[in-house]
Amino acid sequence: MGKVAEKESIADIRALLEQEEVVLHFPQAELGPYTLRRVKTSQCKVACPLGTDVKGYVGLIAGGEFKKSLELIKETNPFPAICGRVCMHPCEPECHRGEVDEPVAIRMLKRFVADYELKQASEKPKVRGARKTGQERVAIVGSGPAGLTAASDLARLGFSVTVFEKLPVAGGMLSVGIPPFRLPRDVIQAEIAAIADLGVDIRTKKEVKDPRRLLRQGYKAVFMATGAHRGLKLGIPGEELQHSLDALTFLKGVHLGSGERLGNRVVIIGAGYAALDSARTALRLGSRHVDVIFRRSKQELPYPDLAREAEREGVRLHCHVVPVKVLGRNGRVRGVTCAKMRSGPADEVGRRQPSSIKGSEFSLPADTVIFAIHQEPDLSSLPKNHSFEISPWNTLVVEPETLATKTKGIFAGGDAVSGPKSVIEAIAVGHKAAASLYHYLKGKELKPAPKDPGERQAEVVIEDWVPEHKNRMRTLREAPKSWRNHFHEVEHLPSEESARREAGRCLMCGPCSECEKCIAECHQKLLALSVPGTTGEQVLVRIPWLSDRFPNGHEPWEVHIQGPAGESLRALASPVVCQVWEELCRGCAECAQVCEYEARKMVSREDGVVVSQVDQSICRGCGACVTVCPTGASILGHFTEARITETLEHLLAGSVGGKRKGEGARPHIVCFGCNWSAYPLLERAEFEIPAGLHLIRVMCLGSVNSGLMLRALELGADGVLMLGCTSEKCHYSFGNRVAETQVDMAHKLMHTLGIEKQRLRLETISSGESTKLKRIIRLFATKMSKLGPNLLRS
Amino acid sequence: MDEIAEAIKQTKAYYCLDCGKCTGNCPVSLFDKAYSPRVMVKSVILGEGEKLGKTRLLWSCLSCKMCEERCPSDVQYIEFQRRIRGVYRDLGQREFCSHGGAFQSLMRIMTAPKLKQNRLGWLDKDLSVSKRGEDLYFVGCLPYFDAFFEDLNVHTLNTARSTIRIMNGLGIKPMLLENERCCGHDMLWAGDEDNFKRLAEHNLKEIEKSRAKRVVFSCPEGYRTFKLDYPRYFGKLKFEVLHLSELMAGGSSQNPLSLGRLNKAVTYHDPCRLGRHMGLYDPPRELLKSIGDLELREMYHNKHTALCCGTSAWMNCDLASKQIQMMRLREAKQTGAQILVTACPKCQIHLTCAMKDTHLGGSLDIEIRDLATLVADSLPSSKRKK
Ligand SMILES: Cc1cc2nc3c(=O)[nH]c(=O)nc-3n(C[C@H](O)[C@H](O)[C@H](O)COP(=O)(O)OP(=O)(O)OC[C@H]3O[C@@H](n4cnc5c(N)ncnc54)[C@H](O)[C@@H]3O)c2cc1C
Ligand code: SF4
Ligand code: SF4
Ligand code: SF4
Ligand code: SF4
Ligand code: SF4
Repeated sequence: MGKVAEKESIADIRALLEQEEVVLHFPQAELGPYTLRRVKTSQCKVACPLGTDVKGYVGLIAGGEFKKSLELIKETNPFPAICGRVCMHPCEPECHRGEVDEPVAIRMLKRFVADYELKQASEKPKVRGARKTGQERVAIVGSGPAGLTAASDLARLGFSVTVFEKLPVAGGMLSVGIPPFRLPRDVIQAEIAAIADLGVDIRTKKEVKDPRRLLRQGYKAVFMATGAHRGLKLGIPGEELQHSLDALTFLKGVHLGSGERLGNRVVIIGAGYAALDSARTALRLGSRHVDVIFRRSKQELPYPDLAREAEREGVRLHCHVVPVKVLGRNGRVRGVTCAKMRSGPADEVGRRQPSSIKGSEFSLPADTVIFAIHQEPDLSSLPKNHSFEISPWNTLVVEPETLATKTKGIFAGGDAVSGPKSVIEAIAVGHKAAASLYHYLKGKELKPAPKDPGERQAEVVIEDWVPEHKNRMRTLREAPKSWRNHFHEVEHLPSEESARREAGRCLMCGPCSECEKCIAECHQKLLALSVPGTTGEQVLVRIPWLSDRFPNGHEPWEVHIQGPAGESLRALASPVVCQVWEELCRGCAECAQVCEYEARKMVSREDGVVVSQVDQSICRGCGACVTVCPTGASILGHFTEARITETLEHLLAGSVGGKRKGEGARPHIVCFGCNWSAYPLLERAEFEIPAGLHLIRVMCLGSVNSGLMLRALELGADGVLMLGCTSEKCHYSFGNRVAETQVDMAHKLMHTLGIEKQRLRLETISSGESTKLKRIIRLFATKMSKLGPNLLRS
Repeated sequence: MDEIAEAIKQTKAYYCLDCGKCTGNCPVSLFDKAYSPRVMVKSVILGEGEKLGKTRLLWSCLSCKMCEERCPSDVQYIEFQRRIRGVYRDLGQREFCSHGGAFQSLMRIMTAPKLKQNRLGWLDKDLSVSKRGEDLYFVGCLPYFDAFFEDLNVHTLNTARSTIRIMNGLGIKPMLLENERCCGHDMLWAGDEDNFKRLAEHNLKEIEKSRAKRVVFSCPEGYRTFKLDYPRYFGKLKFEVLHLSELMAGGSSQNPLSLGRLNKAVTYHDPCRLGRHMGLYDPPRELLKSIGDLELREMYHNKHTALCCGTSAWMNCDLASKQIQMMRLREAKQTGAQILVTACPKCQIHLTCAMKDTHLGGSLDIEIRDLATLVADSLPSSKRKK
């Protein structure tokens, strides 16, 4: 089978052979509908700490399937509307669209589907009454994204979950850090409410001082997700003055309604999220001049998007500037003395260490100075004799795999452990914590164990085509000057069209998007997606076959492939070739007579019984022998009669007996399409295919016997259209003839049954004849409409 | 699973002695070592029916009833098997259909209430039928078989024509049903009671409308199904059910036929339904013997021990079927007879099918005739024809 070598290099095959599970797809043909092979994954997914199936949800948006898209996101993320607004989108810089023009607006698309769902008032997620929860109680300390994600997972797993929150509002930094013009409060409330609806008991104004007490109170395990809420200053002279404060104190004060007066001039030190949010909040509180000073270059800004938005609002950004001293008068801030910096040589991580320029000092006048340098966990309320291990950075130390602290039953994660990070990372940790608690309480793994992003590998398949240039959508509100007057959201929601257009910019990197739509659609539940192994090399969708019916269960079987040097390679394959089920074979030789490739041989067994054999290296998989075989002994891989029948049953379900309402006028047409002409044309048809046309792929029309045609009619098809190659162009040269005989036979039987002959038609086209195809289908559909429903339907 | 318990009870499977006489006599077991009626009974009783119920072996039995002939405990094996099939069918198992399931589809299509068939196109001018009368001829699936097996050179409609010719010879002008359906035999034996009942109801309604007093069958399967199975499901029938051979040989008719001569040796193959199921061993033989000069030779297995034709209900035609058929054909050849006569269209089809293989080189070829056609050809009136 030299063809294999054309498709996959021998090295590939060798690599495949080393895998445990390998299914070669259709060695002698092309990828078929039933063997899906998924190779690696897209880089956006790899970049996401949560492993969000970006390509999957973006693809679904492009297809207009907003609900399904959101469902897909929700599988891993309980906060789509929140992340759709504030996620740091590590995926976007990785997006390959960025190499063509600009990255896909992945974050905004997430917000789009999340909001779309919220807008559909009628389809609002059902608010379930408090769910009955299990007996085992677990406690979560801290209601930030880490804590609430863990709570949500554990509640779904049947635990009784209580969340303790020190502050009067739930949400952690979402509520007391991030300002409402980036994240409206009702959005936070809606998504937290959904978690409460799972039966999670969220108690605010409940500070937990010693988590060990919770264990004594009967909670079986505790997860500490207390965040990093202590804002740091720099240690420069004058920073203890009045009106010199840290960003968290400032923001928390504003968000909880006890903000202080800032005055007209505000200087902010630092340019991270806390700094930029403080600056923009200051503008909204009425300060006229807000200066942000940053010690590195503009190119090194950690959040360029946020910085750009701040600048557009009027914040003045000073790069390569450090504060030297806070100036005061009468104990109050008066200004800041600053020095200019220059980039030094890059250090080993590639960051340029800036150094100050002598004599460059200058001062900025200020009524208030806000330090937004860094945050660390606030451990001040822990009892003296606490049993935690604390790192030099004041974070809690846990075992990285399990998140377990030194105290049995107490786990910790999120910003409290990692120092300030991001929402999406906190969510990822929340899942990990839930899995770990589950394991701790139940002694078993929670499957599938979440994958570490590091284990995944991306594969990029932009090769020799250059995608068309398409602009990224814009969602910032116009007239930025007016933003500063209010706390309303500054980004607006794109329209349905522009969201779909934006999603359409996705290059669909990596062959499989893992949207798992195939699995959901497969009514036989035959598909299963296996998650990348540690190598990340090969991912397969395995199809368990109707194994009890067939001799080898249609598990992949061993085939021998000849390498280029004539060496013999072994592989497990599931090719489209024929096999004989010997117990069924009556040795009639019909198959041997029909097969013009001479792949069939009649052999005499030891006991004298004559049976047919297939030489699978010759067989081309046309299926003609299956058609003529009277017993079902001839079986074509992947295209078994049982499978086609089941497909028919599924497609036509409910059409007999007129159970479907209002469909009288719409004819149901079953179209058997040849793999080499009609099927590919129809699959990618540029014209509209009439509703009710069910396409069934076959390798050759010669593989459809009269029994299947009648079966389609019996199941309620109004018409059966056999669409394949002309006899001169038949891929297998003789398939067309076989098909004609079968259609003749079916016509004879239909005549006696009193079913109109026109309901079954064989039409031939060549592979490029799209227009002819269109005409054939139109005509046939019109004729079927005129004939009215098949008598079996009434 | 109550249904299984019920089936075991009602078919007396509990009495099974595990003696294995059934398997020893089963033609399928002879060639397919995986199949054994004894094991089937045993595993179902032990609650392990699943093991076989999900394999092709569930559909292997030919319901030829050979096993029951020998069973010392009178286990009603074929009924047992039929009901177990029903149980597993409900669980999603399906028979292995021959010919791509074309016949199963035909039969199911025939359950459609609005069906208007064109099934009487074969009615030649010289055949007399009537619109009203006491007698009705139930043609069965002959028009469909005739179309499907044209290539085999088996023309089953000749049986229908001959039957009417014979009835005409007896002075009967039978009625025919324009929209007769399949009798449901095959559905029933494949465990599909629902579709069986649908077909049966149609037929009963149509026959009732015709006000027939007697319904005559040329097909043993229809005969058995009407005579035994319809009453089981629908109560006593309002008409009498007769096989063609009964009509002729049983003296139930006023004018016995005087048949012509045929100077040939023939052998008779008992269809399982006519023989072991219904006990009609002699009427067909009597009829053959009334053809002048005809010599009837018996095969090694005959009457109670007659071999099955190897396939039943268009399912599980397989390697064993073929071997059974070849064995039967060899037996027929061994009698030295020139013609193998059978009374069932399916036996005729299956046995013809088995002898046409090229690798047999014609070694098993023998002329196969249907009882009705042979008799009709001996009618004085049809001398001209053929
Ligand atoms: C100003 C600002 C802007 C930000 N912007 C972004 C952004 O745009 N995108 C992004 O991805 N990330 C952003 N972040 C970071 C992000 O919000 C955090 O990384 C994330 O919220 C951390 O989640 P967490 O669950 O670990 O902790 P937190 O969200 O901090 O939640 C911890 C909770 O525990 C509570 N708690 C603490 N101690 C106790 C106790 N003893 N008893 C009871 N409760 C206790 C706290 O009150 C708090 O509610 C921002 C952070 C700040 C400060
Ligand atoms: S007829 Fe077609 S499918 Fe069958 S053995 Fe020949 S090539 Fe293979
Ligand atoms: S056609 Fe089917 S039954 Fe006949 S020899 Fe071929 S495989 Fe066997
Ligand atoms: S009925 Fe015939 S085929 Fe079935 S088990 Fe009995 S002997 Fe075997
Ligand atoms: S012949 Fe009867 S008693 Fe003996 S094994 Fe078979 S079913 Fe049982
Ligand atoms: S014996 Fe021949 S005709 Fe009968 S079912 Fe089998 S293949 Fe068909």
